[in-house]
Amino acid sequence: MGYGKSDSYRVATTQDKDDRSPKKKKGATKDMDDLKKEVPITEHKMSVEEVCRKFQTDLVQGLTNAKAAEFLLRDGPNALTPPPTTPEWVKFCRQLFGGFSILLWTGAILCFLAYAIQAATEDEPAGDNLYLGIVLTAVVVITGCFSYFQEAKSSKIMESFKNMVPQQALVIREGEKVQINAEEVVAGDLIEVKGGDRIPADIRVTSAHGCKVDNSSLTGESEPQSRSPDCTHDNPLETRNVAFFSTNCVEGTARGIVICTGDRTVMGRIATLTSGLETGKTPIAVEIEHFIHIITGVAVFLGVTFFILAIILGYTWLEAVIFLIGIIVANVPEGLLATVTVCLTLTAKRMAKKNCLVKNLEAVETLGSTSTICSDKTGTLTQNRMTVAHMWFDNQIHEADTTEDQSGAAFDKSSVTWLSLSRVAALCNRAQFKAGQDSVSILKRDVAGDASESALLKCIELSCGSVRMMRDKNKKVAEIPFNSTNKYQLSVHETEDPNDNRYLLVMKGAPERILDRCSTIMLQGKEQPMDEEMKEAFQNAYMELGGLGERVLGFCHLLLPEDQYPKGFAFDTDDVNFQTDNLCFVGLMSMIDPPRAAVPDAVGKCRSAGIKVIMVTGDHPITAKAIAKGVGIISEGNETVEDIAARLNIPVSQVNPRDAKACVIHGSDLKDLSQDQMDDILRNHTEIVFARTSPQQKLIIVEGCQRLGAIVAVTGDGVNDSPALKKADIGVAMGISGSDVSKQAADMILLDDNFASIVTGVEEGRLIFDNLKKSIAYTLTSNIPEITPFLFFIIVNIPLPLGTITILCIDLGTDMVPAISLAYEAAESDIMKRQPRNPSRDKLVNERLISIAYGQIGMIQALGGFFSYFVILAENGFLPSQLVGIRLNWDDRSLNDLEDSYGQQWTYEQRKIVEFTCHTAFFVSIVVVQWADLIICKTRRNSVFQQGMKNKILIFGLFEETALAAFLSYCPGMDVALRMYPLKPTWWFCAFPYSFLIFVYDEARKLILRRNPGGWVEKETYY
Amino acid sequence: RTTCSSFKITLFYVIFYGCLAGIFIGTIQAMLLTLSEYKPTWQDRVAPPGLTHTPRSDKAELAFNPRAVETFLAHTKALREFLDKYDESKQKDQMKFEDCGDQPADYKNRGDLDSDVGVRKACRFSRALLGPCSGLEDTEFGFKEGKPCLIVKLNRIVNYRPRPPSSNESIPEEAQPKVQPNVIPIYCTSKKEEDADKIGEVKYYGIGEGFPLQYYPYYGKKLHPQYLQPLVALQFTNLTRNTDLRIECKVFGDNIDYSEKDRYQGRFEVKIQVEES
Repeated sequence: MGYGKSDSYRVATTQDKDDRSPKKKKGATKDMDDLKKEVPITEHKMSVEEVCRKFQTDLVQGLTNAKAAEFLLRDGPNALTPPPTTPEWVKFCRQLFGGFSILLWTGAILCFLAYAIQAATEDEPAGDNLYLGIVLTAVVVITGCFSYFQEAKSSKIMESFKNMVPQQALVIREGEKVQINAEEVVAGDLIEVKGGDRIPADIRVTSAHGCKVDNSSLTGESEPQSRSPDCTHDNPLETRNVAFFSTNCVEGTARGIVICTGDRTVMGRIATLTSGLETGKTPIAVEIEHFIHIITGVAVFLGVTFFILAIILGYTWLEAVIFLIGIIVANVPEGLLATVTVCLTLTAKRMAKKNCLVKNLEAVETLGSTSTICSDKTGTLTQNRMTVAHMWFDNQIHEADTTEDQSGAAFDKSSVTWLSLSRVAALCNRAQFKAGQDSVSILKRDVAGDASESALLKCIELSCGSVRMMRDKNKKVAEIPFNSTNKYQLSVHETEDPNDNRYLLVMKGAPERILDRCSTIMLQGKEQPMDEEMKEAFQNAYMELGGLGERVLGFCHLLLPEDQYPKGFAFDTDDVNFQTDNLCFVGLMSMIDPPRAAVPDAVGKCRSAGIKVIMVTGDHPITAKAIAKGVGIISEGNETVEDIAARLNIPVSQVNPRDAKACVIHGSDLKDLSQDQMDDILRNHTEIVFARTSPQQKLIIVEGCQRLGAIVAVTGDGVNDSPALKKADIGVAMGISGSDVSKQAADMILLDDNFASIVTGVEEGRLIFDNLKKSIAYTLTSNIPEITPFLFFIIVNIPLPLGTITILCIDLGTDMVPAISLAYEAAESDIMKRQPRNPSRDKLVNERLISIAYGQIGMIQALGGFFSYFVILAENGFLPSQLVGIRLNWDDRSLNDLEDSYGQQWTYEQRKIVEFTCHTAFFVSIVVVQWADLIICKTRRNSVFQQGMKNKILIFGLFEETALAAFLSYCPGMDVALRMYPLKPTWWFCAFPYSFLIFVYDEARKLILRRNPGGWVEKETYY
Repeated sequence: RTTCSSFKITLFYVIFYGCLAGIFIGTIQAMLLTLSEYKPTWQDRVAPPGLTHTPRSDKAELAFNPRAVETFLAHTKALREFLDKYDESKQKDQMKFEDCGDQPADYKNRGDLDSDVGVRKACRFSRALLGPCSGLEDTEFGFKEGKPCLIVKLNRIVNYRPRPPSSNESIPEEAQPKVQPNVIPIYCTSKKEEDADKIGEVKYYGIGEGFPLQYYPYYGKKLHPQYLQPLVALQFTNLTRNTDLRIECKVFGDNIDYSEKDRYQGRFEVKIQVEES
């Protein structure tokens, strides 16, 4: 078929042995590097005889059974080897011991250790450490199981590849055709395939009859390609005489010699590469690791400080060690792991509703951090459906409507020329709608026929009504189908008018070939001689449409004179016995796979969100560039080096590459680039299109972006995208059109195939990152009022103000719902207008967050708690002044007449009840101050009054935590179960002033922060 | 981080914590203003009173050998120290003490807590009332003879008036003879029934062999600084030797309760073992 420009694109070949990766550490990495290189096939350049000799086979007889058995033994079966699978229990353990869990495990182990020390040294060890250890273990195990089941469904890449492999193959051995199991096919086997078969191995075609194969799984381009015995290209992926394992033979038959089997096939290499790729940590995993470092740092610092203090204060070594462990464990935010998991799950659910199905929980956030999107073209950005885009007739280019919903502008259909053009397009067309689709809209109907003809069929059906009726009226009497030598297709029809006995000859084909056969041209319905002027106009139109990346077809017709071709004339199509020149040129129609409607808008949004969109396609550069311009990947006014050269009329080499913001890079150039040059291109061009790329090159591009520190999202639908999808920080596959392999390799699936859903993903990802910050700030804050009681217990020897059980009630009880509710918080500003976060600078948890949460709000909270504690003890008779230093007597079981400030005497149990009432009150106070904390954590910059209280879950959270606190305090039996006691109503109000103080303080802080952007307050406190 | 910025943030935190400390002290002071000087706001946790004994020991175990002084030295020392303030010589001041009789009598009302009367007089309680357990004649409190004394007191509670039992229903039969007007009776028995005869006779010393009411109410540390709570001495005169004996002592009264968890509320348990070879 005629392309706008001839397809003389050289493509990345194979045999070059560039040592791009010097760092080959292990055998495994070496293998992977090897796989990343291009396919090492050379057989296509050999003659058939050479190939036969190489594989010791015979072109007619095929292999002998003995040889076949020998080769099978040598090469192994023709099947994809699954990678060494990680056993399920290892995966489970990874969930159980990975990331955040390590912190909790350490905490739990320390708890058990502390309990062991206590049990060994004391007669009646306090059970607190034991309970804490058990609870921590339970938390990790439960959340571990949860995430394990979340992810158990994914990663079945190899299985999906295997589904592509055919079951049976027809081989010729010792001259006999035998149907054998595809696994038994060996190199050298003579194989026969016919339309509808899957090709059982990589074969060198030796003979073919109208054979076409669908290489879409390798190249992403769904147009069937013909196969013939001749070598047409250096690149084995481009040449016509090689057919690939697991691709489909669409029509015709072919015979060939197997050159590669199993994992050595092109597809096998992609499969091995994809399943073997190691993917890095997700950005959120990195953030959580960083967070763990900070928390551990703080915990160890506090622990060691107080360990030393305890020693100085005269505690024994063992006691000091128990304190050390206690402080470290108290720093562990027990509920945070669960909170983060639930927040991510909720977002994943919300995204699923918006047609983004997230397979890996951590990937929820990744899109939000994404700074580069590498998008496949066909099927992702485009509709993957050839559509008539332009027509040239009456010496004018008309634009057809290419939108999916036919909302675009219509062209003038009144011209007589158009009627003729549409008649030619309808008649000289073998495509037809499949039966039983009358209720389906025309564009969505399935068509039997090739892509261009389908496009024409739909276009005519849309604008002129039923093509079938037209064909019925104009009965076909003869036809010459398209072939690559003629480059045209011709048919002869009866005319509509039953009185007119002339025959109508219609022809379509490569425009220049059609033009050669025409002597006249139809203008406004009138035939006029084809003069030089018209030829010039034709050339211009042809160039223009070709320049748009469109596939152009020429149409012409002729009413055969009745005297020469009377009714009943026997048209002979083999030995053409009728006129096929001096025809009348009618017009041109050009087709393109048009962009999806929502894509330009989505690309624009990505760009305003600071995300670089790169197109990586297997298609031709011109088409790629046209689509890139159409969807805004190359924005209006930006030029490539070639554009500048053309505009200034200077050679490309004289243009300063820095002047061009956009660039289109060909796969064959890509392979010659050094790593530095590659980095240079990625760094200095904002708008990049990679065309004619192989699956391996897609992977290399992704790696290049990642090397520059970008967080890369890859969208794609084909098998050829799968290595890149796997390697990307987040791979996004298409749910409807995407291949099974791509879905398995991806982290996220767009259920509606709509690129615009990515924007939703980015938005949700950024939102959850912000909200996780808030959630963590909220959760961490209550750590301070949880630790300080223990610290004061140690240094000033007061009765313990807050016990382990109550701490757990906060972390795993009252704090949970509010912390989770922050995941529902709306964004403070337009998050799609800011740059993606810089992973090295914008951390999930930074020192400013710790400073605010621990240093400021947490301290106020602690004071609120201590205030309630002192109020309760004072109102019961123990004034604050008496409390300091009372601890030893207070905790002495045998001392049952401890005097208070009023001279009253308390038994051990009586004062312990007061102490536990204090714990309850401290707990309730934390709930009260956490109200204020929750409200201030809603926003990081805005005032609550600007943000509003629209988050219903958050309001529910406020009531829920209060109700839970009241329940824990007042429910009968809690004194036995959790040692929590009912509070006098007034004690609930002790922390109110502090709650209010938190609110006022933080509102003031945020006010100053807003008033002085970039000021000291922002630098020190904006997290 | 530059020196300047770390100085700034340090300064900020110093000021910030300074303000917080100020606010905290302010609220504590405000809270203290709401408290009464004489009586705690809540007494529901301290009442009903505990019943405690001297000498006390870990896990309420008294094990000693009458022949070996060192095994009970700590106990007799604790008893001597405890009884020190019950010396008659220390109760001479007529301005601070008054006689309340050595027979049980009704509550001695000394005016309301917040009336202007000021410091109240305390009833004298001479240790001589404790007979052989007074430590006046036997400075070893019977430990040397294997007849140990325990001194028992009802914990002090401001403004608390223990009420004697109004009926005999809840009182075990053996203890019923001890019920008499104006006294909170105390009765000790073995915890385990089978040990009942191993404990031998328990002698009670003190006014009315219990806690007489004229010593109540207590007006608190501030108004009643010299207050002496009434004591009861128990002497176990015939303990079976070399046996772990669990003895439970209980006081009875209408407003005295016992709690399963609190082993010292209105009762106590003590394990005594007299070793002799």
